[in-house]
Formats: sequence, structure tokens, C-alpha cells
Amino acid sequence: MTQIVRDYFEKNGMGLGIFLLVAVGFWVIILIVLPQLSMLDFSFRHHLPPPEMGGPKDTYTIEHYKYLVLGAPGADTSYNVVDLGVFGRTLIAALFVTILDLVLCYPLAYYLGQSKGGGFVRVLVLLLIIPYWINEILRAFAFRIIFGESGLINEVLLTIGLIGNPIDFIRANVALYAGLGYAYILLMIFPIYNVIESLDRNQIEAARDMGAPWWRIHWRVVIPYAKPGISSGCTMVFMLSAGALAAPQILGGPSSLWFTQIIYQWFNQGGNWPRGAAFAIVLLVTCIIIVLSMMRLFKVKIGDIGK
Amino acid sequence: MRSDNYLLKFFLIAYLIVFFGYLLGPLIVMSVTAFNSPGFPRMTPWECLTFEWFDVLAKDDRIIEGIKNSFIIGIGTVILSVVMGLAGALVLTQIWPKLRATYYTIVIAPILIPGVVLGISTLVFWDRINIMLGFTSESLFNNGIFLTILGQSTFIASYCMLVFIARLQRFDTDLTEAALDLGATNVQAFRKITLPFMKPAIGSAAVLAFLASFENYNTTTFTFGKFPTLTIELAQKVRYGINPSISALAFIIIVLTLIGALAYEIYRRRQQLALANGAPVAAVSGGSFQLPKIFRGNPAAVIMVLLALGGFSTIWFAQSYSPAQCKVDVRTQKQIIQQQRIQEIRQQRLEQQQQKSRQGPDIFGGKKTAPATGTVPQSPGKGSFGNIFAPKNLEKTGPKGEKTD
Repeated sequence: MTQIVRDYFEKNGMGLGIFLLVAVGFWVIILIVLPQLSMLDFSFRHHLPPPEMGGPKDTYTIEHYKYLVLGAPGADTSYNVVDLGVFGRTLIAALFVTILDLVLCYPLAYYLGQSKGGGFVRVLVLLLIIPYWINEILRAFAFRIIFGESGLINEVLLTIGLIGNPIDFIRANVALYAGLGYAYILLMIFPIYNVIESLDRNQIEAARDMGAPWWRIHWRVVIPYAKPGISSGCTMVFMLSAGALAAPQILGGPSSLWFTQIIYQWFNQGGNWPRGAAFAIVLLVTCIIIVLSMMRLFKVKIGDIGK
Repeated sequence: MRSDNYLLKFFLIAYLIVFFGYLLGPLIVMSVTAFNSPGFPRMTPWECLTFEWFDVLAKDDRIIEGIKNSFIIGIGTVILSVVMGLAGALVLTQIWPKLRATYYTIVIAPILIPGVVLGISTLVFWDRINIMLGFTSESLFNNGIFLTILGQSTFIASYCMLVFIARLQRFDTDLTEAALDLGATNVQAFRKITLPFMKPAIGSAAVLAFLASFENYNTTTFTFGKFPTLTIELAQKVRYGINPSISALAFIIIVLTLIGALAYEIYRRRQQLALANGAPVAAVSGGSFQLPKIFRGNPAAVIMVLLALGGFSTIWFAQSYSPAQCKVDVRTQKQIIQQQRIQEIRQQRLEQQQQKSRQGPDIFGGKKTAPATGTVPQSPGKGSFGNIFAPKNLEKTGPKGEKTD
């Protein structure tokens, strides 16, 4: 162990070595680990006014987790149907958005990855990147213009005469799914594209020469090869859309909440920070469990993410 | 076989059109609404070409203040996350192999942790430290700019680190060792060899970090305190009443992005051209003689020039153009339509009254048809009144009525 430390300082020199350690230490400990632990600890505490914090009343409790599962004490239902329902719906909707993005992006990623990189492909890649640099709020705003009650789609459909009354896309959550899928398209496309780009074209040729139909080529050759990219894209899209806040706030219907919105309410309107922290922990842990089990299922390592 | 190919090509093109329509359509629609005169951003019906929303935007103090805060936070985040990301990447290359996977998981995790969670944990952590140390709520640890920079840097540093790792994979460590053998100190070797090699990566990481910071919402919304960034201001505006000045802002951002992307493309083309000719970049980019040549192989440059020309002519046009006349026309037209509608409603009401007075005795009289009469007066009533007061009708007359006042 001491040998390693000595080697490290010999290689980097004293000043630089210490600087690197301090920078990384600050990042890992002060910014990543401690805040998460602090939030975890905070979520097990009573909701107290600041002067009483650290006082005798400041003991550990699981009331906030209990609240999420069982609801407020004395409620008419034995479970917290509202919050749990929102939680489940958020996860299912995030899964749906992930699948939507995968289906939408896989063909393009394959096409871009297998083409020989001419000018046309470069233009396509450029066009892909441009929407990503537009503010998240503005992208959601654009969808509101399009899907609103007097929005473009309704106006067009009314003019053609396909519908008699405007369809409420916002209430039906169509706008929300479209907006969320839109927001994370790039995070799905590039991981898959990067992997498929390195796939040897001869493998596809060989499969084709042996008489495999196109779907079998994809099923047996391309998809197994692209698995790290697919799972890394899916992981990112799922995590980000389950944790999205802006799109649900702007595009969500009045009756449908996103779980992050409930957390937001506990922090901003409810003013019960420990409860918000507890809900955030539940969201974080659930997402991690889902992602890890997906990775185990598809036999992908965490190291493949972000490549 | 050949027809199969054509079919495939057809499907490919259709798919590309749908995909890029989905990708770019919303941006185009939003841009167009910035130039339409109604107070609610909409593309149809098209009323008047107007530039007034840009004026409204320029006079919006909160937006201007938000941009200022965004810049301060963006610069702080860039510095912090580039330094931490670079250190993180350098440490990754020499960390004890057994610790490597754990370390990588920890530093990559902030990308996967929901932004909401990062914002909350930053807020809670520093708030508790503040209380623990007994500071007032005005202290640095409760300052919105400080918290936002830390919260954003937590995950933006991971992005930066990924950029650096990609670059470091091509780094030849023999170079550093050679420098050390030749008597350079570690700091000298770092400054003269590692840093210059990392320079392009540092540039792109800084751009990436700034843009990510500028558009971040999820983390910032918990940490901004008294210093709302542009994104926060936008979200407030979009949630509580929208008007096309936001479209105008979006249009400006889109144009800036487009220019940035094209500039980058031109730069890459030039580099490639230089590489192909075996000449340094400076030689190709040189004097005015070679300018046409650059254009020939460089559609991005052509588009850029066209864009600039279009922009200038639009600005010139906007100076002289006034939509006042058009607005008056639209207003009178609306008034006429409204008059007609009022007439129609009056007519309907009149007819209804007549109908009622005719049906009146019938209801009281015929007791034999009781089940039928029970339903009859209801359904016509629902139909005729419902048509007048249907939400759609109200909405159509509502905003227009306000306008004419």
C-alpha cells in the first residue's frame, strides 16, 4: 500500500500529486458522497424548525417512509394510493419513453453507423446535435405550442375536418411523452451509433450471403454486438426521464403528476424537507435497482456506460 | 432484388423525414410563432408579421438578470468542473487497479443520478453544515450562486471527465517519461507535455460544461436561492402564462446554435483540407485568393454566408417595417366575425324562445306521453344551449373580445 502511494508521488511529483488528490477528493467526497449520505440521514429525521435541529427532539424516525407507503395517519385508505400511484405511473411512463426512443433511434443509429461517413451523414449528425443545445424548457415550450388546445396539430386537424372538437393532448399525456422522448433522443442514438460504427461490415455480408433475412441479421448479429450501446442508452434515457422535472411541469396534464413534482412540492410549497429527501431517496434507490437488474439481465457492466 | 432495393430506399427516406421532422419540426414551429402577432404563441391562424416580441424580450428585466446570473454560474461551473474532471481522468489512469472499478462507478454515478436528487442533496448538505457551524442564513453556504455552481459541477465534472478519458487513451506516456529523464520536473512535464496534449479536450469540455450549466433546470431549481438563472426564469414564464417573446428568445438561441455548429463544421473542413494537402491549417485558411476555394469544398461556409446575409436583410427590413396597418385590418375582421357570431346567437335564442312557447302547453297538457316528455325538453335544451356555451365557443370569442377592447 505504501509502495503504491510512494510510486504515485514519484510519478506526479509532490505538488501536482497533492493537487490531483485534493481536486478528486473534493469532488468525490464533498460533492458526491457526503451530500448523498447527508440526504439519507436527513430523510430519517423529524420535520423540525431550524432552532430545534440538533436538540433533544432531533431523533431518527421512519415516519416519512411510512407516509409514502401508508399515507397520513388517519386517512381513509390503508395505503398512500395517491403518491404510490404517481410513483408507479412515473416508472411505467419512463419505461415507455425509453422503449419509444429505442425503437425510434435504432434504425437511424444503424444507418449512421454503417454508412461510410459521407457529407450527407455529417449533415445528419449536425442536425441531430442542434436540438440538443436548445434549452430543455424551450423544447418543452415548443411541444406546448404544437399540442396545445389551439395548437398547430389541433388547428390543422380542425381545418381538414378530421375532428370536430379540439383534442386535449395535454390531458391525454401525449404531449408529455412526445416531449420527454424528444428530450433524450440524442442520449439513445449516440451510444448505439458508437458501437455499431465499430461493427465489421463483413459480418453482415457473411450473414446475408448465407441467406439470412434482414431481421435475422439484426437479431443475431447487429443487436448482440450493439448490446452495450443499447443498454447504456436505455439506462440513461430511463434514469433521466424518471427524474425529469421540467417536461412534466410544463407538459403534464392537470390530473397527472410526475413523482419528481411531488418531491418538488415537499421542498417548495409543502416546506417539509425531510419528507422530500425521503421521497428523493426512494426514487434514487428504485432507479438504481431497476438499472442494475437490467444490466444483470443483459450482462452489461457499468464500465460500458458513458463510452 | 432491385425492386426490393427501391422499396428499402423509400422506407429509409420516409423514416428519415419522419425522424427529422420530429426532431426539427418543433423548433421551426416555435421560431415561426415569434413573428406572428397574436398574444398567445401560435402558428395558425397567421395574422401579422411582427418583430414586436423581440422588443418585449429586450425590455424584460428578469430575463436580462437571468442571463447575467447564468453567465456567472456558467463560468464558475466551467472552471470547477474542468479542473475536477481533468484531475479525475488523470487519477483514473494511475489508480490502484483493484480500486479502479469502484472509483469509476462513483465518479460516473452523478450522470445517472437524477438531477433533482443532486440538487436536493447539495441543498440539504450545505444547509446542515451552515446550521452546524452556526452561520446565519445570509452566509456563503446559503448563497444561490455558490450552491448552484457546486450542484451543477457534481455531474458536469463527470461529462468533462469522459471527454478527457477519451483523449487520454491516445496519450503516449513515454513522452512524459522522456521529459522526466531529460531532467524536467513533474510540474514542467505536466505543463509542457500533458496540458498541450489535452488542450483541444479542455476546450471542448469547457464548451460542453458551459452549455450544460446554461440549460440545466433540475438541479438549479432547488439551489438557485435568490439568483434565478435564465432557465429558471423561462420555466416560470412558461408555467404561468406564455407569450411569444419566449419564442423570440428561442429563435435567437436557435440561430446562435446554428451559427456555432456551422462555424465548427467550417473549422473541421478546413482542418481536413489542410490534412489532405499536407499543409498546415494556416496555409489553407490564408489570404483572399483562396477564399473561393474554401467555399467550393465547404457547404457549411456557403450556408453561413447566406445566413449572415439573411440576418442583415431581416434586421434592415425590421427597421422599416411596421405591422400597424395589418393589425388594424385583422382587428376589424375579427370585429366583423364577432358581430356575426353575436347575431347568430341572438337568432338562436329567439328561435328557442319561440320553440319553448310552442312546446309549453304540450308538456303540461299531454299526460299520456309522460315518459317521452320527460326526456324531450331536456335534449333540445342541451343541444341548443350547449352549442352556444360549449367551451370551444367561449374560448373562441373570449380572447378576441379582449383584444378588441
